[in-house]
Amino acid sequence: MANKTALHDLIGIEHHKLNFFQELQQNIKELKGINRESEDQRCEIAAILDGITDVMMVLSEDLKIISVNRIFEQLFPGINPIGKKCYTLFRDSKHPCPECPAFKSLSTNSVCKDSAIFRIDGKNQQFDMVASPLKTPGTEEDRILIFKRDVTMEKEYQAKFYQAEKMATIGVLAAGVAHEINNPMAAVAGFAEGIQRRLARLDKDIPAELAEDLYDYTNTILKECLRCQDIVKTLLSFSRPVASEFIPVDMNQVAEDTLRLLDHQFRRYQQVKLEVKLTSPMQLILGNEAQLKQVILNLLTNAVDAIEHNGRIDIETFIENEHVGVRVSDSGCGIPEDNRDMLFEPFFTTKQVGKGIGIGLSTCFNIVREHNGEIIVDSEVGKGSNFTVLFPLQRD
Amino acid sequence: MQVTKFAIPEVIFGNGSITYLASCAQRLGAKRVLLVSDKGLEKSGWVKIIINLLNAANLDCVYFNGLTANPRACQIQQGAQLYRDHKADVIIGLGGGSPIDASKGIAIIVSNGGEIHDYEGANRISRPLPPMIFIPTTAGSGSDVSQYAIITDKKRKVKMAIISRSLVPNISIIDPDLLVTKPRELILASAVDALAHAIESYVSRLASPFTESQALTAIRLIAGNIKPAANSKDLEALKNLSIASTAAGMSFSNAGLGVGHSLAHSLGGRYDVTHGLTLPILLPSVVRFNKPCAERKMETIARTINESCPAPAKQKKHDLSDILQSMFEELEIPMRLREIVPNNDQMEEICRLAVKDACSVTNPREADCDDLMKICGESW
Repeated sequence: MANKTALHDLIGIEHHKLNFFQELQQNIKELKGINRESEDQRCEIAAILDGITDVMMVLSEDLKIISVNRIFEQLFPGINPIGKKCYTLFRDSKHPCPECPAFKSLSTNSVCKDSAIFRIDGKNQQFDMVASPLKTPGTEEDRILIFKRDVTMEKEYQAKFYQAEKMATIGVLAAGVAHEINNPMAAVAGFAEGIQRRLARLDKDIPAELAEDLYDYTNTILKECLRCQDIVKTLLSFSRPVASEFIPVDMNQVAEDTLRLLDHQFRRYQQVKLEVKLTSPMQLILGNEAQLKQVILNLLTNAVDAIEHNGRIDIETFIENEHVGVRVSDSGCGIPEDNRDMLFEPFFTTKQVGKGIGIGLSTCFNIVREHNGEIIVDSEVGKGSNFTVLFPLQRD
Repeated sequence: MQVTKFAIPEVIFGNGSITYLASCAQRLGAKRVLLVSDKGLEKSGWVKIIINLLNAANLDCVYFNGLTANPRACQIQQGAQLYRDHKADVIIGLGGGSPIDASKGIAIIVSNGGEIHDYEGANRISRPLPPMIFIPTTAGSGSDVSQYAIITDKKRKVKMAIISRSLVPNISIIDPDLLVTKPRELILASAVDALAHAIESYVSRLASPFTESQALTAIRLIAGNIKPAANSKDLEALKNLSIASTAAGMSFSNAGLGVGHSLAHSLGGRYDVTHGLTLPILLPSVVRFNKPCAERKMETIARTINESCPAPAKQKKHDLSDILQSMFEELEIPMRLREIVPNNDQMEEICRLAVKDACSVTNPREADCDDLMKICGESW
């Protein structure tokens, strides 16, 4: 005992039966302080999350959405995503996407990346996805954090860049070839014309039969020279700069020019049956001729690849519901349903290595969209595909 | 007159009042109760009854019975550990002074930590204790209403007095029915303890009108009921002893005691003998020692006893020590110290410790070691 107990101590006037009130008050005060701190922290974290410009989702193991950030609400306005399945919202599907990086991330317990095209609000949008496993201590269930970055624009620019580069290369080539071919052609044509002039003067000195043959030959030479010049001209028109102004364009002319370019290919594959049905009279649309030719060229090339040199290709133009339409149909292999969403994705291709890098349809998609048009795909595996491109009619 | 203070718990008194236990505990926020009692009460069936009462109200109950007659520091630690292990929230003490003082000790340790001897003396408890409900089963200790806890420190061989307002329980449920099962010796020992509380606190230097009236009520009731209660277990008499014990408890809790209890604590610490045995032996000598300083009060006590327990005319005595002596002898209580302790070799050491006991502070006459030695000598 430290001090001797005195009477005063025993009375203990200033000592009371301690109760919990003060301690409770103190606890409440401390808890309020702590609560305020954690609320501040929460706000700060929320601000950080809201500052992230990617779509962010926390998913449960079965891909149920647990929480999302503000960007998500911008992507799906007016939809409460909590409790819904990720694939229902993004794919309108009843089953998880097989390539989902979330599963991979969970099973490998590592960060997984992938990219995919989702059709949201009628538009194809491409997203780069990063999935990270969220292991929260104290909870049984694992969660997955997914970031989805909209890279549609980047991919489009990338595709345009590839296309522009390709076209620039073709342009240089075409200009060179045009120059190199036009000169000898001019010479050939000039000499053919020279022969014809001489023939006129020699009319009486040579047998009539020979003269007729020579006329015939030189006419053919001249006609073929003209055809060569036309091909060169068409080639040049393909490689014009992309950013040219929209002018009234005749889609029949576009289709014919493009077919001419592929004429040689069709002639090589005798088994390919090409049917051309161009409606007449055709009305004009506003557009960029070189770009529109690329669209038809791409669709025709794809059709040729789809039938693998044996089958039927139809190209038709039509006017329907204030739209000018071009339809390229083939009797080829068709497109499996799984691939249909990916068709317009840049760099998506089912072709063999060396046959294409997969930017054709995405370029078509961009060009058609710039022309306020649309591409409709109708395909059945084993029976073939129809690609219909619709452009609004030019208003007077 | 000096400023005094009067602190008591909520008291629920009456035959069958034990049935209110569960609702009292629930009002104190109980979900899981630590029940402290002893083997004797287990045998008599009261522990089972209490546990059933609590279970019937969906209260979990953790039972602690690791106690000896005088609770020890190590037992307190065990009880506190049990309280923590089982995440108890309310302490119920059932029994005589030992389980109730042990409950107080456990409450101190669970909320303040450390060792029980850290709190020896007055007002050393700094943090609130868990809610406590006490159910006395003897009419004597008064611990169920007091701010005192007496714990034996085995190492130093002393009984520590811990005094704090915090030790006043939240609720004391006093049900006279619980006294019925006690043997004669225990009823007597408890009643004498209560009488000693009443007498010492009545003459205490801290006595106030609030404590004096309680002390006199206790003296009157004990004098009038001790014989029928002990000899025939008369129910009315037992009930009156319960009231007396509670009144004496209220009195000593607020007025303090005297050297009789100081010596009893010291002897108890050394030889493990109970209050009930040492007090009747010491009390007549203590009264004689204190008489010069509290003559009028002694007379009042003597008169009160005589009025309540009218003795035959030829035995009429007026001196309080004589009255007590004859009263105890008549009840066949051992009256010599030599009958209950093995030897008087260590009497000086025992008295030296008693001088330092907190109870000595309020003794009406200042007593040093020699004075206490004389008292013990007279009682030997």
